Amino acid sequence: MVGANRVLRGVSITHPTGDPALSVGDELELRRRMVDRALNMLSTPVESRTVWEAEG
Amino acid sequence: MGDAASSVERRDRRPASGEGELIVDRTLSVASYRVRDLVAGDATRWEDGALHVDLAGVERAADELPGLRSMTAAIVQPGESTRIASVLDVVEPTVKPANPRTTFSGHLGTLGVAGVGVSNRLDGMAVVSTIGPAEQLDRVEGLIDMGGPGAPLSYWSRTCNLVLSFDADPAATLAEVDRSIRIATLTVARDLAATTVDHAPDESESLELGPADGGDLPSLCVVMQVASEGPGVDTLIYGAPVIGIMPVVMDAREILDGAIVSGAYDHASVRNPTYFYQRSRLLRELIAGHGSRWWLKGVVVTLGYLNGGFEKQRAAVLAAKLAAQLGAQGAVLTTFSSGNSHTDTMLTCRACEELGVRTAVLIVESNGGLTDFVPEADCIVSVGNEDELIEGWHPDRTVGGRDPRVAPADDDAPVPLRDYLGANCQLGDMPIGVEES
Amino acid sequence: MTVVHYINQFFAGMGGEEKADTPPFRLDGATGPGRGLGLEVATTIGCGDDYFAEHEDEALSALLAWLEEARPSVLVCGPAFGSGRYGYACGVVAREAAHRGIPAVTAMHQDNPGVLAADGAPYVIPTGTSVTSMRETLPKMAELAGKLSRAEAVGGPDEEGYLPRHVRRNTIRDEPGASRAIDLLLRKLAGDVRTEAKPPGDFVAPPPPIADPAAATIALVTEAGCVPQGNPDHLPSRRSFTWLRYSLDGVTSLSADRYETVHGGFDTAAANQDPNRLVPLDAARELERDGRIGRLHDFFYTTSGVNTPVAVAAKMGQEIAEELVSSGVQAVILTGT
Repeated sequence: MVGANRVLRGVSITHPTGDPALSVGDELELRRRMVDRALNMLSTPVESRTVWEAEG
Repeated sequence: MGDAASSVERRDRRPASGEGELIVDRTLSVASYRVRDLVAGDATRWEDGALHVDLAGVERAADELPGLRSMTAAIVQPGESTRIASVLDVVEPTVKPANPRTTFSGHLGTLGVAGVGVSNRLDGMAVVSTIGPAEQLDRVEGLIDMGGPGAPLSYWSRTCNLVLSFDADPAATLAEVDRSIRIATLTVARDLAATTVDHAPDESESLELGPADGGDLPSLCVVMQVASEGPGVDTLIYGAPVIGIMPVVMDAREILDGAIVSGAYDHASVRNPTYFYQRSRLLRELIAGHGSRWWLKGVVVTLGYLNGGFEKQRAAVLAAKLAAQLGAQGAVLTTFSSGNSHTDTMLTCRACEELGVRTAVLIVESNGGLTDFVPEADCIVSVGNEDELIEGWHPDRTVGGRDPRVAPADDDAPVPLRDYLGANCQLGDMPIGVEES
Repeated sequence: MTVVHYINQFFAGMGGEEKADTPPFRLDGATGPGRGLGLEVATTIGCGDDYFAEHEDEALSALLAWLEEARPSVLVCGPAFGSGRYGYACGVVAREAAHRGIPAVTAMHQDNPGVLAADGAPYVIPTGTSVTSMRETLPKMAELAGKLSRAEAVGGPDEEGYLPRHVRRNTIRDEPGASRAIDLLLRKLAGDVRTEAKPPGDFVAPPPPIADPAAATIALVTEAGCVPQGNPDHLPSRRSFTWLRYSLDGVTSLSADRYETVHGGFDTAAANQDPNRLVPLDAARELERDGRIGRLHDFFYTTSGVNTPVAVAAKMGQEIAEELVSSGVQAVILTGT
């Protein structure tokens, strides 16, 4: 996290954009939401290192 | 229907000493026996500051243990031109005379509460476990240099060392090999210390932590980070790995008395060998100042290397919560190894500060400086730069496993400080710091 | 005073990009910019920039052997200006020489990944990005090189005109870390806050946001070591000095039977069950199909980000970024573990 300006908190080190605890359909839905949030971050101005949560 | 109370048979149970001992006296008495010399002999015995060791007898300690092909024992003294290579762990010989099976509680047969009663220790001596080439383990760097440029960076260049070299059975599992090496090493360490029983110690100390309150003294605690990720990368408390635990409060004296044992063998300079739990300068100093300079409220033990953002944050909050519940105004945070555990340290620092517990953080740097950072970490003690290169050395002798995957122990190439066992241990036992140029 | 000068294929007059795969070479006397140093250059050594990037160990081995033979009183490398690969090679060679007791000077733009590669060992003189600053740079290099070769004391960065080295050197202190920690904590509780280490200052100003993802080309990049099944191009599991690029043409999902991860720094079981858990291609494709993303770039980029030296990571990032920019990519989703 040192130096990156737009950071989206991933699910886990071993599966940043997934969650084996979810059903396949729910997991894809989670991933869509994460990518969608990433796109929001890319189109948002930031002053300095900013960390967003995947949900909420 | 009679009186329920009278129908209960009351017994005054006096348990055998050391087993489920009623703790009426919460003092740890440490009897230190200073080792002037370590010599091979026909029988293992203690004589006026000299420990005589029957090496063949010691080597038999591994005989019944599964997963090992052999164990050899060798003596290595300060001042020798010797390198000890592929070191797994270093243990200070210690024994609890009242019930030796409770020494290193949980590993050698009987569970007892550590940190109470009497413990004898051989001061100035260490048992060093090393491993030969083994399929089960990634490269084990772990160097201790008794001479040459690495000696000032090797704590055990000044102790008399009994080096145990283990050879693993290729067909055994890592868990088997790991456990057997640990049992053998701890057994040898305990049995050597047992030679002091009934002899007069050079020093006797009473580590007491009386009621902690009142007066103007600041209340302090330690938040001690360990890591437990499976065999070879484990920390064991009371005989079992602590993978998956929530942060827990321990008495500093338990940790000094063998409750925590290392089972981690990677990143030599930055992990905590068992010896540094037993002799922790941090815990010793905090105990010594209790009641005169501060109150030591306790030690919160927490995990690093947790795998997810949520797990990391949860552990940080729970550890900080315990520190606050102990009533600590300030906490010294320690770190285990490098890399993602530094994020755990920083998150814990932030969580403590948010609860009003001020922090000082012990952490190692690399050539790039700090690995991770939070603005709340405004009080950092740097235990050194693990990337710095130490001049190569040609020792006269190399003892300990020779893993061909590691560069030959006597070649000329400079060695990163990271390979020297304990050199950058983030419990803070080494007098190493950093200056910028 | 014996001076050795390190250059690349271009400055040696061998050719441009097409000769970047030239293996290490050695020439008597000064060549190219070496002639403008005003020093007696005994030997010029060099290497093609691509060769160095792709065969670092072999290249270094040859170059250091020549340096050992020459045992110069100083090594001068470059100047490399803004050239990332050349700068990286200069930084590495200068660093390795310095580690072996040969004082070294190099020169490049302060953002050149070669600055990180130098690791504070040699002296790095800051330059402009283009070769137009050659004339003012050479005399600065020569002056510092002269001092080093005569073993004269070298002043601080501002005084002598080199970049702060930020060398964090180990030192034996009077007190162990534990005692220092207790002391600093007590001071802090009394209101006196001190620290032995500060965070690194390597911050990049955040680029402005993209106007509308629906009109943008977005690329997927990862350090999670995601590769086609069987790792056909042998991406290392640890300490990778290379990155790879794979076509996503016609690929809508990173399926477990066609992709895997070789990253050596985490438990790969969950990721190998579904590599989209590392690189979210399936979700990104859906968003592309729905018009939320204008276009997904044709390639994804991958490396294994564990035990990677910071300088190497910076170099790889710069190279990938250059390619993305020249391909018209406006934004990147970078996944890490």
